Amino acid sequence: MDRGIRGFGGTVADAEPDTIAVAGRAPVLRLEGVSKRFGSRAVLREVDLALAPGEVVAICGRNGAGKTTLLRIAAGLLIADAGSVRIAGLDPERDRRDYQRRVGLLAAGSSGLYGRLPVERHLDFCAGIALIPRRVRRAAIERATAAFDLSALRGLRVDRLSMGQRQRLRLALAFLHDPELALLDEPLTSLDEEGGELLEARLDRLRASGGSALLCAPTGEHDGITVDRTLAIDDGRLVTR
Amino acid sequence: MSALRDHLSAAGAVCRRDLALFASYRMRFVTTFFTAAVTLTLFYYISRLVHSGRVGSPNRYYAFVVVGVIILEVVTSTLATPIATLRQELLAGTFERMVLSPFGAVRCVLSLMIFPLLLSLVLAVASLAYAGLLFGLPLRWPTLPGGAAVALLAAIAFAPFGVLMASAVMLFKQTNAGATFVVTGLTLLAGVYFPVALLPGWIRWASDVQPFTPAVDLLRNLLVGTPLSEPVLVSVGKLLGFAAVMFPISLVVLGAAVRRSRRMGTVIEY
Repeated sequence: MDRGIRGFGGTVADAEPDTIAVAGRAPVLRLEGVSKRFGSRAVLREVDLALAPGEVVAICGRNGAGKTTLLRIAAGLLIADAGSVRIAGLDPERDRRDYQRRVGLLAAGSSGLYGRLPVERHLDFCAGIALIPRRVRRAAIERATAAFDLSALRGLRVDRLSMGQRQRLRLALAFLHDPELALLDEPLTSLDEEGGELLEARLDRLRASGGSALLCAPTGEHDGITVDRTLAIDDGRLVTR
Repeated sequence: MSALRDHLSAAGAVCRRDLALFASYRMRFVTTFFTAAVTLTLFYYISRLVHSGRVGSPNRYYAFVVVGVIILEVVTSTLATPIATLRQELLAGTFERMVLSPFGAVRCVLSLMIFPLLLSLVLAVASLAYAGLLFGLPLRWPTLPGGAAVALLAAIAFAPFGVLMASAVMLFKQTNAGATFVVTGLTLLAGVYFPVALLPGWIRWASDVQPFTPAVDLLRNLLVGTPLSEPVLVSVGKLLGFAAVMFPISLVVLGAAVRRSRRMGTVIEY
């Protein structure tokens, strides 16, 4: 295990492409030959990646290297130009609803919240569109609230929260429907030490339940998050470190 | 059955969210109603100047135009507000949640129409009461529930235009001009402020190829007793026909627009 994602040093060109074989266990996430271009710019080039059950993997790389695009494609937000993406064998287009039930995405930055909406309403709204059945919705909201210590903030509007508190809410929303795969883009942004510990604890529970997580860390300065592997992405190519 | 319940519950969650956002501005309902009241007051005094063989006395013209203005608000509630909300979702980065939800982007966009529609119905009743109490609008109260049903049907028949506009927002981001064009076209061609019989013959066909004209015709009959220009069943059939034909088409177009924007990478752009 790699305790803490350290700096993105060395020459990634020397490293091998990530062609991990997940011995004996069906991967939670499998990307094969995934490529993506925006106009004339190739953002991802034939990326292969597999995440085993219980595995937490970090990807680091410089700005614009393709980390966020990779996460967005894995989440089903963007469609790859080539290659295949599967979560537990499901296709993001053909099996869209089941696919989305299994994935939780934390997008980078501070967007994705409604400033004038209270925390509680965010949870209710996201639980609703996540199609969490009504009979278990309350319990799911309680779990997510407790996991990121948001109980005291439930009645507050988002525009009255600190940036760290907003990040906790965004994490709670990403984990609200108890996804098998968590895709977290710069998850420690604005979090204090306690917030980092809460995230670590939630990732431990994800591991224990056989789920996986893929984290993005541009500088690799994400101390406190335990990862099983660290990969690097450079010029759209994924390489092991 | 359980899946249907979960989907209805999801639509309810979108509606509750929109209500909470609307209510977070405490004076918003008051200012919205105030705007409608000013319009109704303005038309009352304009109607005093109208003496036309086409619509009758000033009071009859007032009844004619009040129903036109109110149904215009109800019908276009599925057009302007959801488009503006969708734009805000794109700007705030919250649309991603909808795309990534099991409920899906298309159903979420449809659900964005629920709250504005309910709000417009409440405002319509308040506006009718205002015009009745202050200016003596001769409302037929017993047929008011029927009027609400027709308004709802009209809004559903008109909703595909909103869905198509949402598709345009997904692809081109800015479609305010398009929404304005549609609403302006309706006010000119569908008999909001004057009878369509006044239109030149060469353009009168346009009042028959959209759902607004039969809706406003039916509503005027139900609410203020204006004679119908065609049998009830024909008007209702037109509304149902528009909904039945246009809804599936608009949903396919929206699904394709979302998919294209996901492929192009513009789904995260604003």
